[in-house]
Amino acid sequence: MIEIAASTAVVYQRIVIDIAMYFGLFVIVSMALNFQYGNAGVPNMGCAVSASIGGYTVSALITRIIYWVGTNANIGMKPYATDYDWNYNNQFNTYLMNDYIAEHAMFGMSMFILSIALGFVMGWFMGYIISLPAIRLRATYLIITLITMADAAQILGRNVVWISGGTLGMWVPNVLSWYPGDRTIITAVATMLIGIICYFILRTMLNSPYGRLMRGVRENDLTVQSVGKDVVAIRRNVLMFASGITAVVGVLIAYYYSYVIQSNFIRATWTYWPWLMLMIGGAGNNAGTFIGCALIIAMRRVIIVYKWALESFVWYPIVIFEQQLLATLLLVVMVFRPDGLIPEKLLRIPGIDYRRLVHEETEVDWRVDRIDPSKRGGILSRIRGGGKKEEAE
Amino acid sequence: MSFIPVIWMSAIVYASMITILSIGFTLTHMTAKIPNFAHGTYAGFGVYVSFMCVRYFEMSPYYGFPAAFLFGGLMGIFLYRIVVSTLRRMGGGAIVLTISTIAIQIFMAQFQHIFAYLTRETYGLMSYGFLLKKNDFTFEFLGQSFQGIFPISLFLVIGIVISLRWMLTKTKFGIAMKASAEDPELSAVLGINIEKVQVASWFITGGMACLAGAFLPMWFMGSPGAGARLLTSCMAGSLLGGLGNIYGAIIGGFTIGVSEIIFTAQGMKLLGLWVGEYRPLIPMIATIAILLVEPSGVTGWWARWRVGGGYERLMARLGRSKEE
Repeated sequence: MIEIAASTAVVYQRIVIDIAMYFGLFVIVSMALNFQYGNAGVPNMGCAVSASIGGYTVSALITRIIYWVGTNANIGMKPYATDYDWNYNNQFNTYLMNDYIAEHAMFGMSMFILSIALGFVMGWFMGYIISLPAIRLRATYLIITLITMADAAQILGRNVVWISGGTLGMWVPNVLSWYPGDRTIITAVATMLIGIICYFILRTMLNSPYGRLMRGVRENDLTVQSVGKDVVAIRRNVLMFASGITAVVGVLIAYYYSYVIQSNFIRATWTYWPWLMLMIGGAGNNAGTFIGCALIIAMRRVIIVYKWALESFVWYPIVIFEQQLLATLLLVVMVFRPDGLIPEKLLRIPGIDYRRLVHEETEVDWRVDRIDPSKRGGILSRIRGGGKKEEAE
Repeated sequence: MSFIPVIWMSAIVYASMITILSIGFTLTHMTAKIPNFAHGTYAGFGVYVSFMCVRYFEMSPYYGFPAAFLFGGLMGIFLYRIVVSTLRRMGGGAIVLTISTIAIQIFMAQFQHIFAYLTRETYGLMSYGFLLKKNDFTFEFLGQSFQGIFPISLFLVIGIVISLRWMLTKTKFGIAMKASAEDPELSAVLGINIEKVQVASWFITGGMACLAGAFLPMWFMGSPGAGARLLTSCMAGSLLGGLGNIYGAIIGGFTIGVSEIIFTAQGMKLLGLWVGEYRPLIPMIATIAILLVEPSGVTGWWARWRVGGGYERLMARLGRSKEE
């Protein structure tokens, strides 16, 4: 009886850690997305590319550096130069290095910080590359290219063995193995910390003059261009910075699993779910992003953990049900709550009472030509064609 | 004796499929002004219409083609009425509508998974990866044996192109469609029912996509994700065509479809078998190259050539100058 109670406690602890970890990860991605779409109007559908670049940074660069250190420390590393050795000695080498890092905490810590920094730089650079083809063109072109590029990142990861072990995936050394307790707890705590740092960085950027410029680009890029600002450069900078932040998430997920494989970075998880979080919470403010993220993560983790209980209600695999839930929620939110749960707030400018300067409608909208909410009519009339509304007029 | 190599037959069947999809994608983009990411998923339903025809009713898959067209068309109307039209009436901009088509894609693709799953669980049929090549008819021509789908897919493309050309230039409805694609407000003032035009265009595009999907399992492997995988090629074809011109989409779709198969086959022959894994990169690279070099695709080249006087020079060289 005691054993069962203990194991239940362990299960609940695992769920809590899992939810905390995923909340930390996805809050960073959705904040970066909010930075791009909610504030600058750049519809980045390529978050999966940036996240995968973070993961590949850990597997292809950081792991090599750690192995190199291990080889020089003479702890009996097996060779890892060729593709074959890279794949088949990977587990053994990683095991050795975990022990080595457990004794050399400073080395592990410095590698952790280096991987975050390197992940950011690689993601930032990748943001430049993915923005090259279509950042000058209409938003729909940008969406098309970014969606296809997520597939390209996966195809490369699947077939080039030295990036992330190809189809087999690869283990990465746990740089936090000096922590004596549960390694997932320290990873989750580190993720939450990085999330808080990201929040403050993004908040500062949004409330700076550049943040106001970004909102100007979103609202009317022609006006911004006519006063001498380079709209394309602003959009590209925003995309690059946010891509860098998303890559940090890729780094963290690699350490959480201690394993990198291309199929971890599928489009559905890293692009569509963050978009849903953004849409539910409301684009343009970080509070909404937090709430949307918390709701979705809790719901998803509960579905995954209690799969066995749900499977008696649904007569097909629960994975399919989860995807349908994603799409249905996205559509329902877009139709019935286009502003999300929390509408957008004005920016905070130190020293200026912004509210007194802005006399017009403060409800800033992220979509064009929106109908006044009071004129919308009921649910049925909205689907049928707003007949009631027209009659009333 | 074989005067058409099998790889070319394969390329032409594939290219016909991509061409039909590209035409539909372009037509939606012209009338609704959004890229329809659910376009590949329509094709996925066509795959399972063929599957049902053969495995459930034990008929020739060709009987399923009209049913596929009708089914896809009705699905297109349904999605337009329920989602796209509602969102547009609520004032959704291009980005919101595009995201809604992605949501539709995720949602509809799951029905194929459910159908495949239930079919396998209930009847024990192979529904996750299947090929209907054996259920196709074969015929001999000049000593070479052909699969029926090879000429039929080619005829279907030509038929669709001719009938679309006839519809868009000769009928009142087609002209109304072109007008509302050019300027919706002005054509509404002139008395064209924009909503009807939209519904018709979603019917035609949905039907064509589902039809293209219906002949996928006759040559390539059908699976729940088979339709959605065609989307990248279809978008590349439409982009090469310029996203605003149906004739451009024909050229673009056929070029992308043929080059995807032929380049992969030649690459595998010249460089080694590893090239085969990178086949999905070909339409992606094409997309990026088109956007970098000429975002308006073939249409842009054509327009520039016409403006630069290339057409007149060519006609003069052929002895058919206007001045004479």
